[in-house]
Amino acid sequence: MEQSQTPSRILLVDDEKAIIDNLASFLERAGFAIAVALDGEAALDQVARLTPDLLVLDVLMPKMNGREVVRRLRQQDNWTPIILLTRVGQSTERAMALEEGADDYLNKPFDPYELVARIRAVLRRRAEAPRQMPLAMATRVRAGDIVLDRTARRVEQVGKPVELTARAVALLEYLLLHAQEVLTRERLLDAVWGWDYPVATRAVDARVAELRRALGDDPDAPRLIETVVGQGYRFVATVEIA
Amino acid sequence: MRRGQWLRRWRLGVSLIPLSLGVAAALLWQAGLFPNPVLTLRLRADVGTLLLVLGTMLTLLGLPAAVVAVTAARRRDRDLEAAHSACTDDRRCFLQRLDHELKNPLTALRAGLANLASLPGGRERDAVHTSIEAQVLRVNRLVSDLRKLVELEQRPAERVPVDIGELLAEATQLAHDVPGREATLNLPQAPWPLPPVLGDRDLLALACYNLLENACKFTRPGDAIEVRAFEDGQSVVIEVADTGPGIPTEDLPHVFDELYRGENARTIEGSGLGLALVRAVARHHNGAVSIRSRTGHGTAVTMRLPLA
Repeated sequence: MEQSQTPSRILLVDDEKAIIDNLASFLERAGFAIAVALDGEAALDQVARLTPDLLVLDVLMPKMNGREVVRRLRQQDNWTPIILLTRVGQSTERAMALEEGADDYLNKPFDPYELVARIRAVLRRRAEAPRQMPLAMATRVRAGDIVLDRTARRVEQVGKPVELTARAVALLEYLLLHAQEVLTRERLLDAVWGWDYPVATRAVDARVAELRRALGDDPDAPRLIETVVGQGYRFVATVEIA
Repeated sequence: MRRGQWLRRWRLGVSLIPLSLGVAAALLWQAGLFPNPVLTLRLRADVGTLLLVLGTMLTLLGLPAAVVAVTAARRRDRDLEAAHSACTDDRRCFLQRLDHELKNPLTALRAGLANLASLPGGRERDAVHTSIEAQVLRVNRLVSDLRKLVELEQRPAERVPVDIGELLAEATQLAHDVPGREATLNLPQAPWPLPPVLGDRDLLALACYNLLENACKFTRPGDAIEVRAFEDGQSVVIEVADTGPGIPTEDLPHVFDELYRGENARTIEGSGLGLALVRAVARHHNGAVSIRSRTGHGTAVTMRLPLA
């Protein structure tokens, strides 16, 4: 798909030269045009000068860290899609992630092919609603009769609170923010649990079952969470800012 | 961190100096104690009041600057805290730093290997590539296990009713995938079935899985693996026993330590963190693990989880 149009321009920001060098040529080979920056200040300059289509941003960097870069951009109403290289497993990180509004997160060390998959997914999602505040920045999101309050970590259905475990809420949040995308169990594990042990995929199934039970979603005729056989799960309802 | 806080206070303090000098001067003037008679002669206005006004103005100018600086510093600290979470003890700090130092080179290595794979090459080069990749993934697994261990001690565990029998059944199923291993599961029905344990399902599943994985790894084809669980009034007790080669007595006290490898375990692949994770999960649930073993006979690992 990328070949027929002009390639998407990615700004890669990391203070580690070895990562920049290897990832830049890998991403170029995957069909993207790459610019690089070695610290946060340089990243902001580059964003202003080059208006890239997407940023891949490390968190711990000299001069200005990745989180500050996201904050500054969002404060200027700059909604350039951002993939932040960190994990959002714990509640404090989750709260920060909400405040920042990055589009996706990837934990180092990652599989470079996974990075390409996420870049494509984020670009596709954003292409459908360009220049709008992304869902990732919304405090409350709605899908049909379900409302998720991301700050309070509460879920309501037809105005009534739904009782869920903290991890089920986190899983629902990730599904909602990545609606219409097929998410493998491995990816959900990495994003929501921050783990990858062999049988852990069962943990994902157990939480999906919990969500379906609590939200009254029939796996055979899903309104919300669809099982994609051999691949994973997909949130099928339309999600909007509430 | 501590130095940062001190600096911040110091900055606030400095911005208050002009005000305090002004107040002091005003008081001295009022009391007629101002030490400089020349000033007294030259100035008609109330010098003390003048100084007070001057001091107040400087403070008003200085305070916002200090507040802005403090806010920025707080935000910076919060980011750092998130990056390093609470480093409350040396061991955890060490593990966290190790994870941090390894993840960048590993990220670069994996991207480099992916580049290499797309370059033209012969069968020999492919073989080298495959071998290096396997080793990189092995280090990758070690890093991810270390991270699990650190996070596990920090994350607040969920407390929902968990059916241990179901978790053991899932884990036992795994043993059947290992050639030559037959694991039997024995769950009580009398006097009543196993009661649920209040805890974190994902963590408990991880512990059960690790126990079974260990039993499979340290046994030979044909050895028996028995999984059982019962309730003794205070706890749910889980036991995974095998007829494997056993663990030498001198190794036994250390098998739950991170990265410890006994004499017999050196040749067996693994991160050396399996039992350390089990112990961390047990402690997280206010439980405990213990091990009994006899060389030439077998091993039994017992995990106790308190009843609600």
